[in-house]
Amino acid sequence: MSNKIRLLIVDDEEQFLESIAKRLEMRDFDVRTATRGAEAVEIAREEKFDLALLDLKMPGMDGKQVLEVLKQEHKYIEVIILTGHGSVDSAVDCTKLGAFGYLPKPYELEKLLDTLKQAYHVRMEKKFQVDEERMEKIAKLATGSSPLAILRELKKLDDEEK
Amino acid sequence: MAKAKRQQAISIESLPFNAEHYREWRRRQIIRMAVTYLAPLVILIFYFHFRYIGLEEDNRRVHLGAIAEHQANILDLFLSERRVNLANLIDHPRFSIPPSSEDMNEYLGDLRRVSDAFIDLGFFDSSGVQVSYAGPHTSLESRDYRDEDWFSKLRGRTENFVITDIYLGFRQQPHFTIAVSRTVGARFLVLRATLDPARMYEYIESQQMAGDVITCIINRSGAYQLVNETLGHPLDMCLLPVSADEPSGFGSFKSETGLRHYSFWWMNNTDWALIAQSVPGAQSILGSPQSRTLMVSAALLLVAVVVIVNRAGKLVAQQKETDQTRAQLEHAAKLASVGELASGIAHEINNPLAVITEESGLLMDYMDPRFGHKLGEKELHERLDTIQKSAFRCRDITRKLLRFVRKTDFDLQEHDVHTIIDGVIDDLLGPEIEVSKIRVKRNYDQSLPKLPTDTNQLQQVILNIINNASDAIGDAIGQITISTSRRGKKILISIQDTGCGMSPEQLHKVFMPFFTTKEVGKGTGLGLSVSYGIVRGLGGEIEVESTIDVGTTFTLVLPIR
Repeated sequence: MSNKIRLLIVDDEEQFLESIAKRLEMRDFDVRTATRGAEAVEIAREEKFDLALLDLKMPGMDGKQVLEVLKQEHKYIEVIILTGHGSVDSAVDCTKLGAFGYLPKPYELEKLLDTLKQAYHVRMEKKFQVDEERMEKIAKLATGSSPLAILRELKKLDDEEK
Repeated sequence: MAKAKRQQAISIESLPFNAEHYREWRRRQIIRMAVTYLAPLVILIFYFHFRYIGLEEDNRRVHLGAIAEHQANILDLFLSERRVNLANLIDHPRFSIPPSSEDMNEYLGDLRRVSDAFIDLGFFDSSGVQVSYAGPHTSLESRDYRDEDWFSKLRGRTENFVITDIYLGFRQQPHFTIAVSRTVGARFLVLRATLDPARMYEYIESQQMAGDVITCIINRSGAYQLVNETLGHPLDMCLLPVSADEPSGFGSFKSETGLRHYSFWWMNNTDWALIAQSVPGAQSILGSPQSRTLMVSAALLLVAVVVIVNRAGKLVAQQKETDQTRAQLEHAAKLASVGELASGIAHEINNPLAVITEESGLLMDYMDPRFGHKLGEKELHERLDTIQKSAFRCRDITRKLLRFVRKTDFDLQEHDVHTIIDGVIDDLLGPEIEVSKIRVKRNYDQSLPKLPTDTNQLQQVILNIINNASDAIGDAIGQITISTSRRGKKILISIQDTGCGMSPEQLHKVFMPFFTTKEVGKGTGLGLSVSYGIVRGLGGEIEVESTIDVGTTFTLVLPIR
C-alpha cells in the first residue's frame, strides 16, 4: 500500500476530468475518476479513498446524492464539492450534508491543493483519534475476556472501520 | 419636510403611471359614480319636487276654494238678513203708508241697531218719487228715481227685491241699494235702504279665518265692489279672469311677487263673485315649501358630491397602492429571473472555463522541468484543440443568450405553414434524419389558410423542437409526427415524438433558460426558452404534453389574426 493520498474525482465533463486527474497525479495523488455518480459509488465500494472531489450538476445521480451515499458508507472520507454553479444555497446544503469544502469552478490549482491538504489533515486526525480509541478498547479486551469474546469484539471493530 | 418630499418623489417614481394618469382616472371615477349615484338621486328629487308642487297646488286650491265659499256664504247670509230686515219692516202691520219723517227716522234707527251698514232709508210710491226719507242725504227727498236702473228692474221683475251693484248715484259716494217692493191693493210700494260697502267689508274681514288670504268682491262686469286698498278701489276693474258661467273656480296669475292663486265663488243673492286670493310674501322663515325642498335637495346633492369626490380620492389611493405593489412584484420577479439567468450562465460558462484552466495548467505542468514529463506533439495539439473548443462553447452560450435577451423584430408575411415545416425537415434536417433510425411522418391539414409569420424565426422554433425530439429518441428506432390543424382563429403545429419523455418536474421547467436534460456540451438549455420567446413574440403559445417512456408533444398555437 502506497502512502499517496487516495482521491476519487467525479465530473461529467470528461476533458476536465482527464486533465485534472493528470495534474494531480503529477503531484503525487493516487487518482481514480468517474463520469457518473453511480459509477463513483461503485468504485468507492471496491477501493478505499481518503478524499473525493465531486461535481454538483451531473446527469443521473447528482453530486449531492453521491455525497450523501459516500458519507453514509465510508466513515472517514472527506468530500470537496467542485461546481460551476456559484450559488450559496447549494454550498450551504452540501456543508450540511457533511462536505468538507466547496470550490467554485474555475479555481486556482494552488487553492485546490490547499483544500485537499486541509481535508486530508482533518481526515487523518479523525482516523488517529479513532485508532487511539481502538487501541484502548483492544487493550481493555485483552484483560480478562474469553478468547472467543475477544475475537467477536475484534471482528466488530473491524466492521466498524470499513 | 424635505425628507417627506423626497419619499413622495420616490414613491411616485416607482409607480408605473404618471400623475396625469391618476388624475384622469380619478376624473373618470367621479363621473362614473356621479352617473350611478347622483343621476337617480336627481331624478328622484325632481320627481318628488313636482309631486310636491302638484300636491301643494291641489291643497291651495281646496284651501282657497273653501275660503271663497265660506266668505260668499257669509256675505249671502248678510245680504239676506238685510233684505229680510227691510221686508219685515214693510210687511209690519204698524207700517204706516206713507210713513212720516218721524216714522222713517224711527225705522232707520231700528235698522241701524240691527246693522250699522245701513246708511239711509227711503220710501217710494209707484211713480218712483221718494216720498219720504230718513238719513244723512236729506237733499235726496222728493227726488224722482223712476229712471233709476234698480227701480225699473224692481217694477219689471217677478221678484219683490233687488240688490244693486255698487254705484255712486246722486250722492257721488260708493254705495249699494237693497230695495223691496210690495203691492198693496193697486198701489206699488217700494222701501229702499242704501248700505255702506266699507261696513260690509269690515264685516267680511272680521270673519276672515286665515291671514294668508285676502278677499274682494266683483260684479258681473268685473268691477270691484268690495275691495282691499292694496288691490284697488271700488268700481275699478278687476283684472283677474273670472268665468261668469261657472258657479265657482280656481286660477292663478303672475304678479310682481311671483305666482299667485285665487278662487272665486258666485253668490246667490246678487250678481257678485267673491274672490279669495293668496297673499304674496306670507311665507315661513325657511321660505316657500318649494324653496325648502330645493334647499334640502341641494344639501343632499352636496353631501353626495362630497362623498363621491372623497370616495374617488380613496379609490385612486387604493389603485396607486395596488399599482405600486404590482410594480414592486414585477420588479422582484424580474430580478429573480435575472438571478436565475445569471446562475445558469455562470454554470454553463464556468464549466468550459474550468476545462480551459485545467488544460492550460496541464500544458504548463508538462513544461515544468520539476515534473520531468515530455509532451508529444500530438498530445499538445489535442490539448490546444480542447481549449479552443471550450472557448467556442462559451462563445455559443453568450451568443444564444444575446438572442434570448434581444427583442427581435419580426418580419411578418403571409406564408404557407407546410412550406415552412417542409423547409425545416428537408433542407435543414434532411441529411441528419436520413442517417438516423427516426421516421418523420407529416400529417398536414391541407385546408389551412396562410399564416402571417416570420419564416426564419418560425423555422428556428420548429428546428429546435424537432432537434429536441430526435435527441429524446436518441439512437433508438422512433417516429416524429408533425401535424397541422386549425382551432378557431388559430393554426396548430404539433410535433410529437416517441422519445424518452419528461417527468412532471422536468416538464414544469421546460421553458426555463439553462434548463437541460442533455449531456454536457450538447445542450445549453436555451433552445426552448428562445423558442418560447419567439412564439410569444408572434402572438402565440407553446403547449407541451409528455409522458415518461411514451413521448412528448409540443404544440405551437399561432394566431391567424
